[in-house]
Amino acid sequence: MKSEELFAIEVRGLTKRYDKLLAVNGIDFDVKDGEIFGFLGPNGAGKTTTTTMLTTFLEPTAGTVRIYGYDLPRESLDARALMGIVPEESNVYLELTALGNLIFAGKIYRMSRKARKRRAAELLEMFGLSDKASVKVQEFSKGMRRRLTVAMALMHEPKLLFLDEPISGLDVQSTRYIKTLVHDLNESGVTIFLTTHQIEVASELCHRVAIINQGSLATIGTPDDLKANIESVQTIAVTFDVPEGISIPSLAELPGVNHEVKAKSGSERRLYTDSPADVIPAVVDFARKHELRIISLSTLGPSLEDVFLKLTGQEVGSITSPPVGEGKRGGKRGKGGMGK
Amino acid sequence: MKKMSLWSRTAGGFGQAWAIASKDLRTYYFNPPMLMFGLIMPVLLFFSFSMRRADLTREMGIMHLLSMTLFFTSSTAGPVILILERRTRTLDRLMTAPLSMSCLLFGKTLVGVVFAVGVALVPLIIGLAFFHIQIHNPALLGAAIVLAAMSFSALGIWFGSFPAKSVGTVMMPSTLIRWPLLFISGIFIPLGNLPGWLRGVSYISPLTYAHDAVKHAISGSGTQPVVLDMLMLPAFLLLFLFLAVRLYRRVRKLGY
Repeated sequence: MKSEELFAIEVRGLTKRYDKLLAVNGIDFDVKDGEIFGFLGPNGAGKTTTTTMLTTFLEPTAGTVRIYGYDLPRESLDARALMGIVPEESNVYLELTALGNLIFAGKIYRMSRKARKRRAAELLEMFGLSDKASVKVQEFSKGMRRRLTVAMALMHEPKLLFLDEPISGLDVQSTRYIKTLVHDLNESGVTIFLTTHQIEVASELCHRVAIINQGSLATIGTPDDLKANIESVQTIAVTFDVPEGISIPSLAELPGVNHEVKAKSGSERRLYTDSPADVIPAVVDFARKHELRIISLSTLGPSLEDVFLKLTGQEVGSITSPPVGEGKRGGKRGKGGMGK
Repeated sequence: MKKMSLWSRTAGGFGQAWAIASKDLRTYYFNPPMLMFGLIMPVLLFFSFSMRRADLTREMGIMHLLSMTLFFTSSTAGPVILILERRTRTLDRLMTAPLSMSCLLFGKTLVGVVFAVGVALVPLIIGLAFFHIQIHNPALLGAAIVLAAMSFSALGIWFGSFPAKSVGTVMMPSTLIRWPLLFISGIFIPLGNLPGWLRGVSYISPLTYAHDAVKHAISGSGTQPVVLDMLMLPAFLLLFLFLAVRLYRRVRKLGY
């Protein structure tokens, strides 16, 4: 007999209306127990409104939400006990110490005194804050406050963790730390609902992603499935050996090229096309004609960012890309214009 | 999934409310608006309206100062704390924790109570130590102080529940409402001297009942039965908390 699949989140017909504005338009999706689920969308798409409804802060106008079987808002207290919430803005108490913040979080989640002390010590150690346990949080850096915010959300050992832009504005070290943490938490059985505008993060960490646009779900699936669905978007990355002081003419007029993106520095060009087979010979002819030597030439499949841009109606390749020297794809084209 | 029982919710709810109150006391006790509106204002008011009043006995002076201190101190904490926490989004943390809105707001009410009771001890100790005032019924006085602080604090919580993000936005209208209450509640003008219609209005002020209860406790007499005073104060507490919870229901529908 097939065992029944356990869902952390079940959303049906979720709708939020503010007077005439329809912020979220009857969306449906499920998040499976134990998965990392990415929730992406451009500014004003309904991403934050959806998340605030899932975390019980906001009540829907229509539709149902179930968190591990608990109906919202009717059983929101039971559902909240299973959730940890990390908002985009680190909402820690600046006047309290790191330990004070954790202990307070434990009290609010009805942990016993012994459990609070044990868990707080464990988390301070885990987040590298043990030596700062008695320091007031107002003296903490942004990265340290972020780590403490995550630690507070984990105090009661939640089954489901909501992470809103967890690495936004963090330095490389903190970013790497949080990414590893998300992976490790998930390995230990925590379901993660990740809201982010950083597509490379979603691509790297998430088992499945949903893209919301203008209040409706544009698509949902694994990053690989979504990329496969827009295979018509192909990219050719070409790098020339250019003598100093010489500028490369535009390749946008070559036959089959839909759009060209120049790297901010270096001589790499990215050519978006539906037909790489036609473009490659044209690029080679172009190099011969202008007496340029090609250093590398590679074709690339669509990235999750391409999926996002295509589904949200933004032009593919409309963002400026940082220099990319290798042929490997991994969402390294820059952040683009998406936000929360 | 195991659900929380009613008993577990209720018992745990008090613990959570107290955790909120004790955290807020540590966090906001020396916040400038709290000190300004809660401590300095009543003392200034007392001297403004009590100097050169030949009819003011020592007991009456202490009663007035005590009522005013309780009123301003406890009703100041709510707007200051709720709005600061809304601005720093720490209130969101509490609103998405496993505790009911009434429990959360009761915790916030307790902050004003502890703060006000602590501050109210100052005029009382001064009265006892330096002016040798006599207290007719100390137990009644203790109960009156706590109940008055609870109803005033809940009034402040109601003010603070209006969806504003600046302390000034709420302090201005709340002060405009609190000051007239001061004049119709029998502190500066005895209730018997008020015109009939104004006396009718004075009965919708919790300060009327609090001041009358304090008078009963210190001097042994008041304007209305002390039982009425002691019943009206918790009734105001419940009313203001109910109104505040309703405002937050609106926040849950519309955001802030």
